[in-house]
Amino acid sequence: MTSTSATKVPIEFNDKVVRQFMLASIIFGVVAMLAGVLIALQLNFHQLNLAEFLTFGRLRPLHTNAAIFAFVGNMMFAGVYYSTQRLCKVRMGNDTLSAIHFWGWQLIIVAAAITLPLGFSRGKEYAELIWPINIAVAVIWVVFAINFFITLHKRNEPTLYVALWFYISTIITVAMLYIVNHLSIPTSLTHSYGIFAGVQDGLVQWWYGHNAVAFFLTTPILGIMYYFLPKAAERPVYSYRLSIVHFWSLVFLYIWAGPHHLLNTALPKWLQMLGMFFSLMLWAPSWGGMLNGLLTLRGAWDKLRTDPVIKFFIAAVTFYGMSTFEGPLLSIRAVNALSHYSDWTIGHVHSGALGWNGFMAAGLFYWLAPRLWNTKLYSVPMANFHFWIGTFGILLYVVAMWISGIMQGLMLNQVTADGLALKNTFLDTLQAIRPLMGLRVIGGAMFLVGWLVMCINLWKTIRSGKATNEVREVALLQRDSSQVMGLGETFFNDPLTYSIGGLLLVCGWLFLPPGADVASLICACIFAFMAVKRFQKAHQTWSFWYDKLLHNYLPFTLLTFVAVVIGGLIQLIPTITVNTAKNMEDRIQKLYEPLELAGRDIYVSEGCYNCHSQMIRTLVPDVMRYGEYSRLGESIYDHPYQWGSKRTGPDLAREGGARPNSWHYEHMMDPRSMSPQSNMPSYTHLKDKPFDQNALPKKIAVLTQLGVPYPVMDATSIKMKALEQGAAIAEDLKKANIVVRPDSEMVAIIAYLQKLGQFETPAIEETLTKKSGGGVPFPLTPVNPDKARSAMAKP
Amino acid sequence: MDPHPTSSSNEPKLRDHVYDGIQEYDQKLPNWWLFTLYITIVWFIGHWLCYYQLGIGSSDQDEMDKVIAEQKAARDKQTENITDEQLWAMSRDAKVVEAGKAVFMTPGMCVTCHGTELNGMLAGAKLPGLPLNDQQWKYGGTPKEIFNIVRKGSPDITKGMAAWEAVLGVQKVSEVTAFVLSHHHEGEPITKAPDSPGAPGAAAPAPVPAPAPAK
Repeated sequence: MTSTSATKVPIEFNDKVVRQFMLASIIFGVVAMLAGVLIALQLNFHQLNLAEFLTFGRLRPLHTNAAIFAFVGNMMFAGVYYSTQRLCKVRMGNDTLSAIHFWGWQLIIVAAAITLPLGFSRGKEYAELIWPINIAVAVIWVVFAINFFITLHKRNEPTLYVALWFYISTIITVAMLYIVNHLSIPTSLTHSYGIFAGVQDGLVQWWYGHNAVAFFLTTPILGIMYYFLPKAAERPVYSYRLSIVHFWSLVFLYIWAGPHHLLNTALPKWLQMLGMFFSLMLWAPSWGGMLNGLLTLRGAWDKLRTDPVIKFFIAAVTFYGMSTFEGPLLSIRAVNALSHYSDWTIGHVHSGALGWNGFMAAGLFYWLAPRLWNTKLYSVPMANFHFWIGTFGILLYVVAMWISGIMQGLMLNQVTADGLALKNTFLDTLQAIRPLMGLRVIGGAMFLVGWLVMCINLWKTIRSGKATNEVREVALLQRDSSQVMGLGETFFNDPLTYSIGGLLLVCGWLFLPPGADVASLICACIFAFMAVKRFQKAHQTWSFWYDKLLHNYLPFTLLTFVAVVIGGLIQLIPTITVNTAKNMEDRIQKLYEPLELAGRDIYVSEGCYNCHSQMIRTLVPDVMRYGEYSRLGESIYDHPYQWGSKRTGPDLAREGGARPNSWHYEHMMDPRSMSPQSNMPSYTHLKDKPFDQNALPKKIAVLTQLGVPYPVMDATSIKMKALEQGAAIAEDLKKANIVVRPDSEMVAIIAYLQKLGQFETPAIEETLTKKSGGGVPFPLTPVNPDKARSAMAKP
Repeated sequence: MDPHPTSSSNEPKLRDHVYDGIQEYDQKLPNWWLFTLYITIVWFIGHWLCYYQLGIGSSDQDEMDKVIAEQKAARDKQTENITDEQLWAMSRDAKVVEAGKAVFMTPGMCVTCHGTELNGMLAGAKLPGLPLNDQQWKYGGTPKEIFNIVRKGSPDITKGMAAWEAVLGVQKVSEVTAFVLSHHHEGEPITKAPDSPGAPGAAAPAPVPAPAPAK
């Protein structure tokens, strides 16, 4: 159907909010990159941990949150608001909602920038913000969603362009991930405990964390690419059917890949295998996006020489291809054994964040500014300079991190000739990568310089023009009732029947007991064969159905939700619903005494997890260096889990008891006194600050509510216990001529560190369920492929 | 921008609909791209089948337990024949003592806690480690006992010393032990510290008998 015959009305787009988001993104880009350069310098020069609020542990969350939510977030909103209005031929849904979205988001960013340096943190990566801010984020996101869907609803364009598919998937998936991973019970206005613990928390965290990358940093930017790249290149998109195949495979597969952040850990093997293989299967769908971007430029490659916008877009898409090749590679368990916890991962995320997101943002802004201010770009040579210094900056950064990561990984794995002793201490490896960490600072700074040049260039551009809202004659859409799709047609059709049926059979293969599993796999193969046959015969009907689906945004959204929710359900439900005692592998961690709990919260709030893991992997070098591999039960009561994802310092899973209290005291006051040339910040401020004993009773009450089997204690006895233990440690330190307050944060964190790795091996199952009053949401016994395997091995 | 670029004869067909000037081709999926997708799917199915249905390969935990047991056996074999006499003899061998000293004095190693003078002091301040140059031994002062403390760390869960065997290896541990012993003499009295595990303040077993020739 066409709408050319319909009446035309003039429509003024809401370009003001686009300008606002764009400027915010540019400014917060500077902030995020400055923070990045500072923390990179801190790793080389520990003296730059200038004050309590400016330590690496507190600033690194600021850097990551600013880069993801402030910089890319605002950029995404600018791109989405600009393109959605044009793709729907209608003004953005509601001006008030647009304004609330913009100002609300900036307020959240300011709140984050204040609370993170103050040490308010939930202790999970990219999910550090405290619960009141979490609620604000959820509310503002819903505002964005409503605004977006109103726009879709009143659109004057009959069908949805591929960019909108990606925006839809972004909006619903981020909402789902964010809410589930931030479920917590407050203990105060600024502190809460997440409802998940240990392995459950780790799994939920990386289901969220990985898909923050997928659905916050990738899908919306792909949508932006699908609009702005063909616009700038003035060429048709390469392949519509590639768009379909890579969109659906991408959103479906991405969700499953989270466990690849927990490879070789205590995470059950079936989850590790799913994480690894879905990451590998994700390689092609990701490259589908890159191909559609790069090949769109066919016939317009000459523009690469002249147009800075095209330069940035093409480089960005190339970096996207590079990092989505690297991702699956790093997800292979054997590769991950070397790369994980090292700088290689840091290099990987920055080739995505700087190369893909940073350059897409730059291309977008160079394209938007002249149009939004009705003028010409101030200086093309400056933009070219930005491009080249940025490109070299990223390459320097990434290559330095590759070398650093691989070198440190190899050094940590080196053993003596008889294979019985390690060759290098952790500090040896740190010294070896220092020059590379220095190069990283230079690379990052180069990128920042390019960004600042862009700021000047755009500033001059904006000054030369005048803010203009585009007005367009738009033909009002005549709704075509024959294109309306009901729920029945949405769900009962060939493509969906074959997809869901095949998926069920594959799940049967994964989870059914021996015998039935193989039968299920054979059925799945037959079913797939039937699907292919059916497609060959009736592909016309399939594509008619899909074309019709594109007329209907609600059914489309529903199907997208189905696609993204499946992977999470299959991976999370078995682990979350299983009785915690079944997860413990014959070991259960000893409960934290009140003082140790206070110490743990200090550990979380200082962001120690940014540099220290608490997870000894099932790898020989890990076990030789840090002791027995970690068992699931040893972190079963950890709200939040602290397995970590980077080892700038050594693992701490079995730190308890390895050194005297006085060693820890000296090490906190000046790490270099005990570990020469360490780059850890000094934590002198812990010495005189009393820990918050009044918060402890409420904290323990909340943990009990969450299923941690604390014995019944009243508030006074909790505080007394904490002070007694503190006094004992202070007494012990006195023997080493160290005088410290028994109620200081220092004493609390020492108590926590000395507790790490302590466990019991009781017959716990009955006592646990009795004490915790359940702890099981509903009595579901999930099937676990590992169980079938161990049963197979026994007889 | 021209929303309808003129298509030459060898250009593929454009789809009808134009979105804000953007058109779309409908090219076939590249074969190599499809094969990449298929291969990764087949790899998944094959690997899972081998591991779970055919039972090929052992679990991570089993593999680790095996390696750890092997390493432990090899270490025990290396150390089972080390005797007090040998360690004393090593402590009188200048070359061995020098090697032990080098390890001991490496920044971040023993010297950090026990001090350059082995007295557990640094510029008058007490370090975390106990003095090693006196005759009081908290966990026993026979050469083998010292050797084992360096290997496995102290038994005390909160005040102890770390285990160094995996970091240093048996060879270096014995050299460090020899270096510590070089500050002592065979037959000198060994007293237990007041806070020693076991009998507080009690004297250690009788001094070790006469030396034996080195290995």
